[in-house]
Amino acid sequence: MKFKTLTLLAGALVMSIAPTAVLAAGKTIAVSWKTFQEERWKIDEAAIKAVVEAAGDTYVSTDAQGSAQKQAADIEALIGQNVDVILVVAYDSDAILPSIQKINDAGIKAIAYDVQFEDPNALYITFDNVGVGRIMAQEMLKVKPEGRYAFIKGDKGDPNATFLFQGMMEVLKANIDGGKIQNVCETFTDGWKPDNAQKNMEQCLTSTNNGVDAVLSENDGMASGVVAALDAQGLAGTVPVTGQDGDLAAINRVALGTQLVSVWKNSTDLGTVAANAAIALADGADPTSIEGVAKFNGGAKGVEMNSILLAPTPITKDNIQVAIDAGHITKEQACAGVAAGAVPACG
Amino acid sequence: MTNTTIGGPAAANENAVQRFIRALELDTRMLGMLVALVVIWVGFDIASGVMRPGSGGLFGGSFLTPRNLWILLVQTTVIAVMTTGMVLVIVLRQIDLSVGSMLSVVAVATGVLQVFELGPMLGVGHPVIWLAAVVFAIALGSAIGFVNGVLIAYGQIPSFIVTLGGLIAFSGTAFLIASGVTVAPMDKTFKLFGGNGPAASIGPIWSWVLGAAVCVMIVIMIVMSRRRRIHFKFATKPIWAEFLTGIVGCAAVLGITAVVNAYPYPPRVAERFALDNGIPIPPGVEDRAGTDICMAGEKVVSCLDGLSFATGYPIPVLITLAVAVTMTFIARRTRFGRYVFATGGNPEAAELAGVNTKWLTVKVFTLMGALVGISAIIASARLDAATTALGTLNELYVIAAAVIGGTSLAGGIGTIYGAIAGALLMQSLQSGMALLNVDSAYTNILVGGVLVLAVFVDQLYRRRVN
Repeated sequence: MKFKTLTLLAGALVMSIAPTAVLAAGKTIAVSWKTFQEERWKIDEAAIKAVVEAAGDTYVSTDAQGSAQKQAADIEALIGQNVDVILVVAYDSDAILPSIQKINDAGIKAIAYDVQFEDPNALYITFDNVGVGRIMAQEMLKVKPEGRYAFIKGDKGDPNATFLFQGMMEVLKANIDGGKIQNVCETFTDGWKPDNAQKNMEQCLTSTNNGVDAVLSENDGMASGVVAALDAQGLAGTVPVTGQDGDLAAINRVALGTQLVSVWKNSTDLGTVAANAAIALADGADPTSIEGVAKFNGGAKGVEMNSILLAPTPITKDNIQVAIDAGHITKEQACAGVAAGAVPACG
Repeated sequence: MTNTTIGGPAAANENAVQRFIRALELDTRMLGMLVALVVIWVGFDIASGVMRPGSGGLFGGSFLTPRNLWILLVQTTVIAVMTTGMVLVIVLRQIDLSVGSMLSVVAVATGVLQVFELGPMLGVGHPVIWLAAVVFAIALGSAIGFVNGVLIAYGQIPSFIVTLGGLIAFSGTAFLIASGVTVAPMDKTFKLFGGNGPAASIGPIWSWVLGAAVCVMIVIMIVMSRRRRIHFKFATKPIWAEFLTGIVGCAAVLGITAVVNAYPYPPRVAERFALDNGIPIPPGVEDRAGTDICMAGEKVVSCLDGLSFATGYPIPVLITLAVAVTMTFIARRTRFGRYVFATGGNPEAAELAGVNTKWLTVKVFTLMGALVGISAIIASARLDAATTALGTLNELYVIAAAVIGGTSLAGGIGTIYGAIAGALLMQSLQSGMALLNVDSAYTNILVGGVLVLAVFVDQLYRRRVN
């Protein structure tokens, strides 16, 4: 057991810290979760816990249960336990700042995990959200370099909906300006709801008399509505559709050919990178010496922070195996209803 | 509910229009709403025609086309089915805020049953699956509604609180049932309840048969009603009014039938349907099949013009019509229905008259739950997926439809057909705005405004009538 721990620890070290850093087990890494209401956070937790415990450190955590007040109290309690690093999944990016100040005052390192709060001392680790939009557009350009594009955007109140659209436009701008791509429909979707996306897509197809060659849907849930609307017109499978989140049903649609791509943010990757960074910080490493760290100032207030932005994985017909290998989806779930020989991963 | 103007004292100073309306025994509120609907439809058609000329609508736009009207009917079904139950709930002076979350729970549970449980057990596509799923959805909805009703009637907790609790709790339950994942795809036969695909509509012949049958029913009902009135020595409508009612009713039914039959299968669907059924594709058609828009001279036509199949009534619309007729019958012709309206009009008097108002409340909420079950079937079949997000906020649209349709929150007053017209009006606004590519923020402002305006106009109308 001890031997195994040491080997894993060595591996974690090589991955994360500068060669000069000194190994010191017995640190305590804490996470203040905002909620466990969504299934994904359990996946993040498992990844972080695995890395931390493999390094011989201790993992502690609190769950704010979707309350900013509880999260503030949680963080005070963690500071009282003399932990070395606190990863914070902020419930409210602004309300959390006084708590972060307390962490800094206590000489503890803070990591903004997945949700940004703007404190220059903290390390911000997340997926590159503008990048998701870029990846969607790039995948679409590969199959439809020109034609009539429809944009099914997320909820107008969610800044991510706009970030994603910006990312798409960066990639598509040249072809739009050159007249190769026409924007025929562009709608926000209340609450990111699939049934709203379905109705919007139906109206888009009606108003253009089915004159749509490509649909950039900003997530997988809405993609399910878009595909249902296309299916009613017999167009599912001929008009490519994008999405993100790696929904199990969406990966199945990718295998079936009714969806082009699901951009997948692998929570296990995020947890692993963050835990390794946390261990490095606990061992006294300088944040800028950690692999992948760069400056980021794209937040609402423009505060410059050290950050690690992970690239998400586009799942297409060709690399479904990646999601199966990661244990995210079983082969049976991914390949349900897929004809033999159509998709490499399905055999 | 029953029209009290029959044989009542006629106002001496009526003008010709008022006399005409009174002779026909028209519901003037309903008439007003139909006029509003026509104005909205024509407005959207003209506006969409200005935006994108040559779309083939009645006024040059894309709203008043068979295709859009057909889709509009399907889009209305989920809210329309639930709103028929909400009418009775509100008439009983209660409210059900939990219907949206309940729809999530039922849809997700039914999805899990057919995709994760029965699918692997019986083999995907087994005929028992869709049947079991349908029975399960309605049973689960009824069970949840029953619990709501018991808590309200016997627990004496206000329905606002019980169902507000349900609204919050059920969304969590829906999440837990499938741990937040989207359940898809639905069973092939189950999917037909959503109205997508050739098999999910009854085709032109059966649509005409159905239209004609409904027409005959209308005539029979007019004759029966006249005979009954003569038998009980009630005042009868003038004979011209009877004929006019019959002709207008039949024309409306056959007109709608003509519209749904004028919507052909989309080109790709037609092509696949022809190939699947061994129908020869006319020469000169297949080489155009790669594109969806073909030009014949100046006019945009379907690329598979030579290969056209009429769609007819979609299954979800037929379900909604069946629900509407059944619910109207329940509300007007059964003891249960009369008790609901009596209790809503005056709960104390109804109780003193011997109505078991508590059990009545339980029954109304159970019925509401069963209707939510039916809506959950249509919604998840139409999306071909069940997700926690399905049904969110639907309670607001269901209540709004009932209220726009003339259901009084004070209780005792409301009609099923009014509520369905309310649902159609709201969906028309949403679809029309989406057709014009208007930001949903403006649509929400419009729908909210129309809700308040409808009630305001209703109040003015009631004050004038009384």
